[in-house]
Amino acid sequence: MPGISLAKVQKSYGAYRAVTDLDLEVKDGEFLCLLGPSGCGKTTTLRMIAGLENLSGGSLSVGERVMDCPDKAVFVAPEKRGMGLVFQSYALWPHLTIEQNTEFGLKLRKMTKSERQKRTTEVMEALGIEEFRDRLPSQLSGGQQQRVALARMLAVNPDVLLLDEPLSNLDARLRLEMRAELKRIHAAFGTTIVFVTHDQWEAMTLADTIAVMNDGTLQQLGTPDDIYERPANRFVAEFVGSPPINILDFGKSGESGGIVQRARDYLAQHHPQIAGAGSVGIRPEAIALVEGEAALAPGAFGAPVQVTGVLPTGGSWIVEVQAEGQAMFINTHVAPAVRTGDKRWLEVPPRALSVFDAAGSRIATADALLSRSAA
Amino acid sequence: MRMRYRFRVAMREPTTLIGVVMAILFAYLIIVPIISILLDSVQTQFGDERRTGTETGGWTSYYLIRTFASPIAGIMFWKPLWNTLSVAFSAIVISVLVGGVLAWLVSRTDMFARRWFATALIVPYMLPAWTFALAWTTLFKNRTVGGQQGWLEAIGITPPDWLAYGRVPITIILALHYTPFIILLFGSALRRFDSQLEDSARILGARRGRIAWLIILPLMKPALISAVVLIFAKCLGEFGVAYVLGLPVNFDVLATSLYRNIGSRQTGVAGVLAGAIMILGILTLLVDAWLVREARRYVTVGSKGSMNRLSRLGRWRLPATGLAGLFFVFAVALPVLTLFLSTIMRVPARFAMDNFTLDFWIGRNLDTVALRQGILLTPDFWRAAWNTVWIVGTASIASGILGLLVGYAVVRTPFRPLAAFLRQVTFFPYLVPGIAFAAAYLSLFAVARGPVPALYGTTAILILALMADQMPYASRAGLSAMMQLGKEPEEAAQVAGAGWSRRMRQIVVPIQKGSLVTGILLPFISGIKGLSLFVILAVPSTDVLTTYSLRLVDYNYTQAANAVVLMVAGLALFGTLAAQKLTKTNLAEGLGG
Ligand SMILES: Nc1ncnc2c1ncn2[C@@H]1O[C@H](COP(=O)(O)OP(=O)(O)OP(=O)(O)O)[C@@H](O)[C@H]1O
Ligand SMILES: [Mg+2]
Repeated sequence: MPGISLAKVQKSYGAYRAVTDLDLEVKDGEFLCLLGPSGCGKTTTLRMIAGLENLSGGSLSVGERVMDCPDKAVFVAPEKRGMGLVFQSYALWPHLTIEQNTEFGLKLRKMTKSERQKRTTEVMEALGIEEFRDRLPSQLSGGQQQRVALARMLAVNPDVLLLDEPLSNLDARLRLEMRAELKRIHAAFGTTIVFVTHDQWEAMTLADTIAVMNDGTLQQLGTPDDIYERPANRFVAEFVGSPPINILDFGKSGESGGIVQRARDYLAQHHPQIAGAGSVGIRPEAIALVEGEAALAPGAFGAPVQVTGVLPTGGSWIVEVQAEGQAMFINTHVAPAVRTGDKRWLEVPPRALSVFDAAGSRIATADALLSRSAA
Repeated sequence: MRMRYRFRVAMREPTTLIGVVMAILFAYLIIVPIISILLDSVQTQFGDERRTGTETGGWTSYYLIRTFASPIAGIMFWKPLWNTLSVAFSAIVISVLVGGVLAWLVSRTDMFARRWFATALIVPYMLPAWTFALAWTTLFKNRTVGGQQGWLEAIGITPPDWLAYGRVPITIILALHYTPFIILLFGSALRRFDSQLEDSARILGARRGRIAWLIILPLMKPALISAVVLIFAKCLGEFGVAYVLGLPVNFDVLATSLYRNIGSRQTGVAGVLAGAIMILGILTLLVDAWLVREARRYVTVGSKGSMNRLSRLGRWRLPATGLAGLFFVFAVALPVLTLFLSTIMRVPARFAMDNFTLDFWIGRNLDTVALRQGILLTPDFWRAAWNTVWIVGTASIASGILGLLVGYAVVRTPFRPLAAFLRQVTFFPYLVPGIAFAAAYLSLFAVARGPVPALYGTTAILILALMADQMPYASRAGLSAMMQLGKEPEEAAQVAGAGWSRRMRQIVVPIQKGSLVTGILLPFISGIKGLSLFVILAVPSTDVLTTYSLRLVDYNYTQAANAVVLMVAGLALFGTLAAQKLTKTNLAEGLGG
């Protein structure tokens, strides 16, 4: 199975730059998720890989083969790339039945009729659309159509499978099943998969690697753990995670004795080597409430807070607190013994801190220092 | 490198190639003829050398001066211009008044038989306009003109000339013919109008009259403007009615003046006149675009939760229905009945059993000078019928397919300037009244030019001109079909490995089958009743039904002419109704055709 490599890829529509300087390496057999907010260029990137859009600059190759490179005047037509693409809008053929839709790609390959029918039936059964085989796409619900779109691509078993938010219209249970099915296909065939989503949990659970994009540029490429635990910048930190990461911005002068100032003081006193910190991020599940300053764990720092809300989210709870003008979220899996209005102390273990410089980039050297001080 | 890359991407598929071929084709079929006739108007024509003082082909302002500023400029241009404008304006005023009321009755009240009237009141537009002109002469013709008497004359009442010919009847007929426009466009805007807007004004204490004046009318302005401008543009090129009713009293409009000048081989002057008509047409539509943009700025008709409540007419319900019925009688029943009766009566207006005959349809050895058999037994008629079917049919099929290809090329080519050019060039004939366009064709194709032989007198010139004339509708239909489909179904097939021809055969064409049928059928029907394009380009051997019937009018074969027109009207009417049933399209969309 081939890998995909994008080098300095650009795409502009007139003056508007949809994708800028994108370097992306999808390894052979990897399951990569493109994650980013709406309009950040995910679909555009996917379409460039498929060959439905040509590049404005840079180069794209699959395996050893250069597929698209304006500087070398190379362009391989989409129909010759042998990829599978599931469209965000399904793009089912309205005049063909579900069966004919599924079968179309197989007809383009050398295959006996019985083989073809066997394969079609197999895929339709796997995706639970066998019973609709003689219907037209317009007679199916959105979720069913989406499964047909998937079936159509899976039937031909392509080396590279490109999926543009293929699960967005399915209900929760079906979505889980489809995720499992995709995982299974990936494991069984070693297909290289690029999966576009703006759903971070989907990305987290499915991907080997996640590429976070914003405004047409790559923000971070890494494993789900990397992305979550060590976000490369504030955008990634804030985009990933729900409830969102707590950001303490040193630029805003926090009230004295407030959490912002205490965090700043902590860094200045204990880790003077970390220079130029502009803000810190703290994941909601890394912090906890304690009775008072005395109850803080050794090495941890904290600040007095007032509880402003307790929201059960089914198996876990989000506690909203106000820390001297700074609202913060705490996520816990143990039923919290506090009520709105209670006064407590917030406990922050230093290794939970992600330190960003004034421009918002992660100061990676801080990680080692902070994790040691936790001991 | 970059250029080569872009070229390669663009030429990878036949899409751009198709686009380029289309662009060249339409440049030749649409732009070149128009340039040719405009050149005619400033270049010395063969035979005029002495008058202009230059050689054939030399630059001259002779024709411009002759048309606009010579002693005969009055009868050639200014008078016809005044007639055209004044007739158009009066017709518009009448149709807005009549059509506005009818539109309101049909779309917003509980009048009896609303649904039936919704279709019935549109019928005058489905019939060719000069159907009414022939019906009018059948009734009102007086002794000023020879041939068979009019009915009134026959029973001893001589209608005055002003009632029988010229401005009055032309205005009335055009008004009747275009009233359906107002009913359609204004009516559909009224239907979308949110009654809640009305209600909120009423709650604030406004009375009905004020509501109509202050709320409804301003919001209806864009629809009204569109309808008015469309009618005006149509009137500019209107030929048949003015020809039939204006000729006996020398009442010329621009279209008939152009026709006369072409008839008397005044090519240069004809060029000027055609150019003037075109410019008026273009100006009109520019004004329309501007007005509508101005008016649309604040219009939000049919927002969320909009309601359409019917007004109760109460004791006015019956009179209102009567009014609509009256329009139907005058605009449809009476003319059609008159025409029909005239074809089965030997002597006009004598309603006695022995006066009725089918001779004019199927008789033999009639005691007339020529045309000694019924129309259905006349070979010329069948030839004209056959010509109509195959000329209009070929042109419609060709333009339907070309329209779809244009739509495809526009949507799919990565080369944007090409797409823009294709859109504009295929839209252009819309701005040019048919008769001026026909004159342009005549100017270009009357003589052999390079490898293209002289086409005048052949069916080819009719087909080409009709095709080009239909392109605005065809390309618009093709474009909207392609836009609606989007490119993704095709892209999905492409990614699955299907090459271009397979995608066309198995995906694009099958999906677009329905809209292709519509795109062929609607132009076909409007082509059948078309006159102004053919009247310039057809010769006796290439007559279609409309020009054939006009020739019969010229020879004073009243019954035969009426019979042919009746058949054309029937074809147009039932064709339109059937096409609508078949394709489930709305009348308003087929407008303009
Ligand atoms: N053909 C086009 N012409 C101009 N701009 C375009 C075109 N296609 C996409 N864009 C712009 O490029 C940007 C990226 O679009 P893209 O479809 O890749 O977003 P996306 O990340 O897939 O968003 P979503 O999650 O909403 O699907 C958008 O701002 C979009 O408006
Ligand atoms: Mg997208």
